Amino acid sequence: MTQHEGITRRGLLGMVGTAAAAATVPLGGGSAAAQPDTGEVTVRMTVNGTATSLTADPRVTLLDAVRERLGLTGTKKGCDRGQCGACTVHVDGRRVVSCLTLLATLDGASVTTIEGLADGDRPHPLQRAFVDQDGLQCGFCTPGQIMSAAAVIAEGRARTDDEIREQMSGNICRCSAYPGILAAIRQARTEMR
Amino acid sequence: MTTSPIGRIGRETDRVDGPLKAAGGARYAADHQPEGLLHAHLVQATVGRGSVRRVDVSRAEAAPGVVAVFTPFRPLPLNPPSPQQSGENYSALQDTAVRFRGQVIGLVVADTPERARDAAALVSADYAVTPSRTSLADGSPGVAQGVVQKLADGVPSIDAALAASPVTVTTSVSQHAQHHIAMEPHATTAVWVDDHLTVYTGAQAPQRAAATIAARLGVDPAKVRVLCRYTGGGFGQRSPVWNEALLCAAAARALGRPVKVVLSREQVFTAIGHRGAVRQTIRLGADTDGRLLALSHESDGELPAAGGWQMMPGRDTSAVMYRTPNIRIDQRLVTLDTPPTWSMRAPAEAPGMFALETAMDELSVRTGVDPVELRLRNHATEDPVEGRPFSSKHLEECYRVGAERFGWSGRRARPRSRTDGDWLVGTGMASAIYPAWRQSATARVRFGDDGRVTVSSATSDLGTGSFTVLAVVGADELGVPVGSVDAEVGDSALPPGGVGAYGSSVTTSTVPAVQAACRAAVEALVRAAVENPRSPFAGLDPAAVRYRRGRVEARGRSVDFRTLLHAMGVPLVEAVGATDPNTTSPYRFHCFGAHFCEVRVHRLTGEPRVARFTSVFDVGRVVNAKAARSQLRGSIIWGVGHALLEADPIEPDGRFAAATMADYLVPVHADTPEIDVHWLDHPDPHISEFGARGLGEIGLVSVAAAIGNAVFDATGTRVHDLPITLDKLL
Repeated sequence: MTQHEGITRRGLLGMVGTAAAAATVPLGGGSAAAQPDTGEVTVRMTVNGTATSLTADPRVTLLDAVRERLGLTGTKKGCDRGQCGACTVHVDGRRVVSCLTLLATLDGASVTTIEGLADGDRPHPLQRAFVDQDGLQCGFCTPGQIMSAAAVIAEGRARTDDEIREQMSGNICRCSAYPGILAAIRQARTEMR
Repeated sequence: MTTSPIGRIGRETDRVDGPLKAAGGARYAADHQPEGLLHAHLVQATVGRGSVRRVDVSRAEAAPGVVAVFTPFRPLPLNPPSPQQSGENYSALQDTAVRFRGQVIGLVVADTPERARDAAALVSADYAVTPSRTSLADGSPGVAQGVVQKLADGVPSIDAALAASPVTVTTSVSQHAQHHIAMEPHATTAVWVDDHLTVYTGAQAPQRAAATIAARLGVDPAKVRVLCRYTGGGFGQRSPVWNEALLCAAAARALGRPVKVVLSREQVFTAIGHRGAVRQTIRLGADTDGRLLALSHESDGELPAAGGWQMMPGRDTSAVMYRTPNIRIDQRLVTLDTPPTWSMRAPAEAPGMFALETAMDELSVRTGVDPVELRLRNHATEDPVEGRPFSSKHLEECYRVGAERFGWSGRRARPRSRTDGDWLVGTGMASAIYPAWRQSATARVRFGDDGRVTVSSATSDLGTGSFTVLAVVGADELGVPVGSVDAEVGDSALPPGGVGAYGSSVTTSTVPAVQAACRAAVEALVRAAVENPRSPFAGLDPAAVRYRRGRVEARGRSVDFRTLLHAMGVPLVEAVGATDPNTTSPYRFHCFGAHFCEVRVHRLTGEPRVARFTSVFDVGRVVNAKAARSQLRGSIIWGVGHALLEADPIEPDGRFAAATMADYLVPVHADTPEIDVHWLDHPDPHISEFGARGLGEIGLVSVAAAIGNAVFDATGTRVHDLPITLDKLL
């Protein structure tokens, strides 16, 4: 069902901010191929730089695909309804809630999850900043917060505190580490310039 | 802040579990994927009260990938809960009774999560329905739970004391059910190997959870292990074991394969307990200078027929807060057919102090005495009922420092007198109190031949910072860098006696145990050093050998413990330390605080916004300033939710009206004001040698009152029924 082709595409992806430019990895393109016998669909996409092929029920969301089928459990399911932001990942450089993104729509897409954000062993500036500024407590919403923050900074929408607060309001943190998250985004924003 | 000369007590320490969490590598209950895993989905009752007559499972059973469907007619065997334990008073699927809408009446197990979920939707049930009791107002007054009363000599009743008071205030407040909304929905992965059960599930008290699971499944407690190294928030709702975990473990046993159940967010609202709705009335009697002559606190709290947490909001608030010669606390409970209630952060204190501190603000308005001055005039040095002194109380300093940091002194006590453009501006304050308590605790400290120290305790870190507390205290006590200490929590197999992570008591209770374990481990290391024939210190008198900063020293020789362990050929030396707090203390142990805030209310829309918050706390000694600040700020943001957002009204048929995250609003980033948090530096000399009193909940207490009082100052409108939404301000 799951097949990792093991081709590293990291070189194509580059930094988050420029990921969109290298997003459409030519893996066949077009819509997902339907499997007439089973009703399943086959999707070829790049996940954290690795070309990946998945054949699955068309109801499978990107969230369940990365967690249950690729074993990438860093992306969290907080509500499964697009109401909390814990499942935020990047698709072709854009932040999306993976619980509302169907796997079947992602043929040819490039997906980055929290596991693909670091540069090898070197944590992403946001990952360091969240620790430095204590932008987390239980840590469950943290991957989604960091993925959203990376995109918000790349989009140039982290210019003021109020703008950060507004742009990050789709990511709920019940521990309410918001002041630390704000400080972390300020810190990383400087480093990511 | 109090700092030790070489250690990091009281300083800013990064969370030791932070890097892994930021990398997405921390594994929570649903992140475990054992070989051969099956997925389960709950089926819940769709009526509010009655019984299940019939369940049609035929379509579900025929659905692809379905392995089993369990119902009350095909149950998984579970023992009933112990009558001594509070919480739900039944076991799911063991009878056909429906006690509330959302009660678990089935479990569908399939090969994928999607197939389990879809098949669960194909299960249909017929019910015999009886009318639900859902109105707290209709059920009030409830059944009294023991009245606390103290009257001055010659005063016949609290009513007489109030009638004789020159000034009286009556304040009735209410709030609906509230939900914890821990970001991790409840999930359990259960794995049996032979007759040993491993359960991955978020648990605030891992050892108590393991014991409960063993008892309910009827297995040897020694063969059940609960693992919850990382848990996505608790706030009380992960103290008990809920039906989802029990059914998951039972299904795994019945099917001979690992089973995982992950509740949908909507299921969490009903299958897991909530903070019960409560209505309260405070009556204050005072002289014209605002000095209290009488205080009455009555409450009617929701108590579900299915069982739950008892809402007693007067006991740790009005009964201890202010000096008054006459006091009466009457806490009543109303039986309703609602989902189970459970303790939620500052479970009784948050609602109780909203009532008292709103009433105090009304007394301030009536007497014209400034709110801070009013509280100073009623300051208690001992609790007003029992007359016991507080162990360490610096609340007056909290008021003074808070007022200064906030800029309270220039306040004009004239409601609706300040504007900024279209915004009406007001300020308010309130006092906070939360009980401090110590449980007996156990910790283990291990010197390893890899040069690392491991500090372990079977408590839990729900984001509360316990990992780091263990590491910091262990490092401080042993004189080694924090970076060379590993902390372990969240495992029921650690030495017995770990404390539950509730009641703001983990730091208070566990730090003395870690200190005791460090001392015992040092003793064991020294003993090994003189007894082991391969040790460079073999044969010495232990009194001549000393441990200092990770090294063992004697006769001019100094060897680090790693080298020593290698020399002795011993992989590790460890010891367990336990503490048993003095339960017969003459003191009352409480944390205190003072909140000050500025609120803005839009002149045309009535929208209330909290602009800034200043809070000063007296919590004893603080271990980690960084985590303490985060926890206190987070609590204050919870208070913003309490004041302005959080409510789940219940409909007459027993359905929660706001049981999704789109309908039940919690504070988001844009709701967060500027927050200035400060704590005093007064270790509690009586609670322990270390002097920590815990700070996980005090920050939330009275935030809603401070905001409500500021809303009154801004608008002249007093809102008694939470949350304070814009419609109430138009």
